[in-house]
Amino acid sequence: MTESPTHPLVKTPRIAIIGNPNVGKSTIFNQLTGLNQKIGNYPGVTVDKKTGMMNFKRNTYEIVDLPGTYSLYPNSEDEIIAHRVLNQLNTKEKPDYVLMVIDSLQLSRGLFLATQLIDMGLNLALVLNMADLATKRNIEIKGFEIFKALGVPILSTDARGEKGLDQIRELIHQRNFGNTSGFIAIEEIVDKSLLQNVKEHFNLQNFYQAYQLLRFGTKDKTISAENRSWINHQLEDQHFDLDAAQLEETKLRYKKITAIVEKTVVRKEVKNQESSIDKILLHPVFGYAVFAAILLLIFQAIFAWSSVPMDFIDGTFAQFAGKVSELLPGGPLSSLITEGIIPGIGGVVIFIPQIAMLFGFLAILEDTGYMSRVVFLMDRWMRPFGLHGKSIVPLVSGVACAIPGVMAARNIGNWKEKMITILVTPLMSCSARLPVYVILIGLVVPDESIGFINLRSFALFGLYVLGVVGVLGTAFILKIILKTEEKSYLMVELPSYRRPRWKDVGLTMYNKSKTFVTEAGKVILAISVILWVLATYGPPSKMDAIRTAGQEKLALAPESEHEVIEAETSSLLLENSFIGVMGRGIEPVIRPLGYDWKIGIALIASFAAREVFVSTIATIYSIGGDPEDDLTIRQKLDQQINPVTGEKVFNTATAFSLMIFYAFAMQCMSTVAVVYRETKGWKWPLIQTTYMTVLAYLAAFITYQILS
Amino acid sequence: MYGFHPMFMTAEKMPLSRSAIIREISDSPLKINLMELGFLPGKKITLDHTAPGGGPMAFRMEDTLLALRKSEAALIQVQLL
Repeated sequence: MTESPTHPLVKTPRIAIIGNPNVGKSTIFNQLTGLNQKIGNYPGVTVDKKTGMMNFKRNTYEIVDLPGTYSLYPNSEDEIIAHRVLNQLNTKEKPDYVLMVIDSLQLSRGLFLATQLIDMGLNLALVLNMADLATKRNIEIKGFEIFKALGVPILSTDARGEKGLDQIRELIHQRNFGNTSGFIAIEEIVDKSLLQNVKEHFNLQNFYQAYQLLRFGTKDKTISAENRSWINHQLEDQHFDLDAAQLEETKLRYKKITAIVEKTVVRKEVKNQESSIDKILLHPVFGYAVFAAILLLIFQAIFAWSSVPMDFIDGTFAQFAGKVSELLPGGPLSSLITEGIIPGIGGVVIFIPQIAMLFGFLAILEDTGYMSRVVFLMDRWMRPFGLHGKSIVPLVSGVACAIPGVMAARNIGNWKEKMITILVTPLMSCSARLPVYVILIGLVVPDESIGFINLRSFALFGLYVLGVVGVLGTAFILKIILKTEEKSYLMVELPSYRRPRWKDVGLTMYNKSKTFVTEAGKVILAISVILWVLATYGPPSKMDAIRTAGQEKLALAPESEHEVIEAETSSLLLENSFIGVMGRGIEPVIRPLGYDWKIGIALIASFAAREVFVSTIATIYSIGGDPEDDLTIRQKLDQQINPVTGEKVFNTATAFSLMIFYAFAMQCMSTVAVVYRETKGWKWPLIQTTYMTVLAYLAAFITYQILS
Repeated sequence: MYGFHPMFMTAEKMPLSRSAIIREISDSPLKINLMELGFLPGKKITLDHTAPGGGPMAFRMEDTLLALRKSEAALIQVQLL
């Protein structure tokens, strides 16, 4: 039935790969498709839709990688997708064939899902992966016996060692899938007339499909409201207890599976499997010490290694903009391209090294099996704050950059815990705050030591601690505010340690960077252009007057003063631009924080990204020369005198107030864009930006009032 | 019913490194999740690790190590071996 697509000669066969988590499903997907992958979205959820093309013997096959799941009973967003795609109602997403990957060491758990797929009546083939591990542990699996018991084709592979992959390709090519149904008879558990009703109403193939629809149809938003209420009526009429039926089904299924496993798995020798590595890595003391050491190593690596490509990208885009502005005739269009669009794209691309590296490290930790150990160790300490053990990954990533952190929050199953994690991660002190901190600390904290402690390092350390305090405090408050009916739970497998698969690590780095550039990039680019417009244009008469005056001065002055005059002119232009007007406009609001309107301009401009603060104040205070040279900037800032009070503009109170402001304020449109993408709407990024700004304002206000 | 018998307990009370046979999973919304993972009556589990401060517990069952929170382990009724 499923083999009859409308245009058999045109349609590419679609094969879905499914399996439990950690069975090597993605490795098989990667091996089959290589770089021929596409990441899309399933409507309404944040789950990535991974599809790829496999070319084999002059034929093309579409391969879909479904999220890992233990059963067809969905518990998380990921699992709902697997459920929905395999649901026969959705003909658009529905695969023609299903390839199920089973961990050879976890046969019964794998067969649980496999037999559900059989009962659904899908065209199925099974792959017993990690055959090498089974052999190593002296476990023999009689594949032919399983085939006889289930009636679907079965293969043995070792995807990491790339063994058996050609057999998979051949199997797909030969369409060697089996379609049997009735592993269990669901009508023995559920009332037959009810099943018959549903089966006829939706024109289904068998009772098990009817049962699945009864069980989950009411929650599936892709089914029309009318049909959903029809299902509800059916359930109410019959007073049907779904939970009880599901339990019955589970018991019955496992009973039959256990009988099969007993016949097919031979354990030649049983030895104690406890891993000696876990004795250290899960140790109550050493476990945490090792984790801390690994974190330190990763940050060292990210800060040290990513600065090289980041400087390179920075330089390349600056040069490129320079070249383009030479080639293009002057005027607003060329200025938009060289000062708005190119730096805007540069502002997106510059995050790639950090994102790629962080995800590379995360992929290695994940792939080796270490990450779930961290979840195990940290869960206890995250829970009082409404977070989950899995929140540790986003939070730790947040120290480098909130963007990959927010992106990493998606495999937290519980909605509330995921939201809290996304909402607090940007409060971790990310690397973009560093330039702001360094320059302000340099201004007001003396380079002296008390004992072993250097005061400047201590101040910097304090700001990082402040970030963590902000995270935990906010999380705690959100825990009280946010409501969910979902029960939080932690059930994770701690997989056997394995060597990372470099190809998969590389693909993760590539895919995550690509997702960031294509999805968040659009928003970032748009905001960059808006900020450029605001900073370039102002009331025309005033702007023109400044330009004319500047040119007149240039004409009269000797060559040596040109740089200074140009800097002064651009500073005047910025002051009178729309952003300058806005800066003056918000001055009454930021006055209590110790800021003048010039700092106000920098605050608005740096909404794009925190580090823009440094280059903006460099322009406003008309500092000629290289804005990257922070010594020059620091000296200039130190000389700024408030005309009203006669004191330094950047005194201790103002500088600390600014640092505290940047510690808490959102000031990063890339993060806003990523939160928008991950939460599927503007509601949460707006709420987040608002509370972070309010928090930053209040904290900066208190700081300034105490210190001044 | 079994509370007074020293060998019958819930899994969160198991001593470290000891093994037990699962007797039953208590009714709870999480019952189904536990069963899916393979926590079924008759299976043998061994407590390999516990996280400090009352954190999660890692049970070995056949060839896998599975981590549960204490509250989830409390749903598993076992007989100590």
